[in-house]
Amino acid sequence: MKIEKVVETFYEGLAEHKLLGRRCKECGAIEYPPRYACNTCGYHETEWVELSGKGKLHSVITPSTLNADPWNDQIGPYVYGLVELEEGPMFNCTVFGIKRKMAKKLRDQLPVPVHALYVEREGFTTVFFELDDPEIGK
Amino acid sequence: MVSGKLGRYARSVSIIGIGATPFCDIGNDPELTGLTEGEFFGHAALMAMADAGLEEAVKDVASGAHEIVLSGCVEMACGLPIPGQPTHLRRRIKTEDIIPDLEGIMDRAYTRALGGGHIGQDDWIDLYRKEYGLTDEQVDLVLNTMSYHGGRAAALNPLAMFQTPYEEEAKECGFDDPMEYLRSSYNPKTTQYLRVSGNASGADGAACVIVCPTEMAHQFKQKPVEVLGIGASCLELMWPHNEMEITREAARQVYEMTGLTPEDIDLLLVNDFVLPSQLCAAEEVGYLPRGEGWKMVLEGRTAFDGDRPINPHGGRTSYGHAFGASGMADVYEAVLQLRGQAGPRQVKNNPKTAMLRGFGGGQNCRIPILRTVEVRR
Repeated sequence: MKIEKVVETFYEGLAEHKLLGRRCKECGAIEYPPRYACNTCGYHETEWVELSGKGKLHSVITPSTLNADPWNDQIGPYVYGLVELEEGPMFNCTVFGIKRKMAKKLRDQLPVPVHALYVEREGFTTVFFELDDPEIGK
Repeated sequence: MVSGKLGRYARSVSIIGIGATPFCDIGNDPELTGLTEGEFFGHAALMAMADAGLEEAVKDVASGAHEIVLSGCVEMACGLPIPGQPTHLRRRIKTEDIIPDLEGIMDRAYTRALGGGHIGQDDWIDLYRKEYGLTDEQVDLVLNTMSYHGGRAAALNPLAMFQTPYEEEAKECGFDDPMEYLRSSYNPKTTQYLRVSGNASGADGAACVIVCPTEMAHQFKQKPVEVLGIGASCLELMWPHNEMEITREAARQVYEMTGLTPEDIDLLLVNDFVLPSQLCAAEEVGYLPRGEGWKMVLEGRTAFDGDRPINPHGGRTSYGHAFGASGMADVYEAVLQLRGQAGPRQVKNNPKTAMLRGFGGGQNCRIPILRTVEVRR
């Protein structure tokens, strides 16, 4: 079995604004972020698949003194939330374009559509998410 | 998540001795300042040996000659070593040291870089609030009630970090009602749901246990407490509702292995370094009925003197949290309670079986079930 660089390949994808996951050859579930094996069925063989970056936001947690990430402020207002990609994977992440005072109203509208937001950090590109409709977060 | 199955143990093992230092800030205590982590561990270890009646058998314990094993944990969370100086010299830890360190529990490949780890403190109680339709004010009241009862228990616990009851703290700030104090700006929110009183404070502390085969356990001083099984599961912080998922899986495993059901559990200890875990985990493992637990908290039924006691030592937020040593301190408390030796904070339901929901690190869950062994003579 050849050693594969999954993490490096994922970040190389982000640098080209491509979102990569791994599809399980046994059950078809998509592992995101990508790892060696399938966390749905436990099978060891998975293959690269490009994801659309489109998804839905399922929860809104507002950052506060203990869990704020000051680096994020340079991009704009943000919250933490659970995102489900249209290909199936669900994960916690940071979602931009949502002011804290809008969080309560937005919670009543969940789930709301979001898409990938590629951001340059020192030495690498990362991916956050942002609202499709910027109006509902303002 | 792929589920797991626990095998039966080849041999039954029981806890025969326990020891623990106070959870405290040694820098605040002239008598303790200068103690090293080795001495803290050693003190807890010697206490455990004395507790088991093994004072003369230190070498045997160390060598394993009698199949007796000592296990323990120590963490000095209030100070940091000073590079180039011996370990009794420590500098006080500051908020600036802690905040960047919080990321240390997150996966470095993805979670830190993709901003997926900061949801942890609030995620489960947010889900609970949605599921059962609680208002923000109700959540706040439930959490403050847990803080209040944790404080009551810790006030009766000589090992706890915070032994001042909330009544006294409230009075100092001009409140007659501790609950009013807890929801005041003296106890501000640090996350969307958590107030200062809902976050565990770092502590210096150590705890140890001594275990041996159950068939040998009756020759020692104390009533043995058998380790029936330990469920185990872990998921990274980016995984949706990771704490709920791994708690469910680890509990499922240990119930399956032991053949016990939630009705068999008399006492629950939960790592509640974020306070809502106490309620959420208690429902997830079946110790409290789903969606009803918050009402039982408000009625005081989960307090140390209630009928479904949780964290009778005060919980991480009142007992203190010596990170890597706190789980063992839970074992210490559970064994004391099962033996009926917990003094004024002894739970009232004559517990025979205790479940412990350990949680933390990266994120790991361990759920042991401990049970008193009936005397065989």
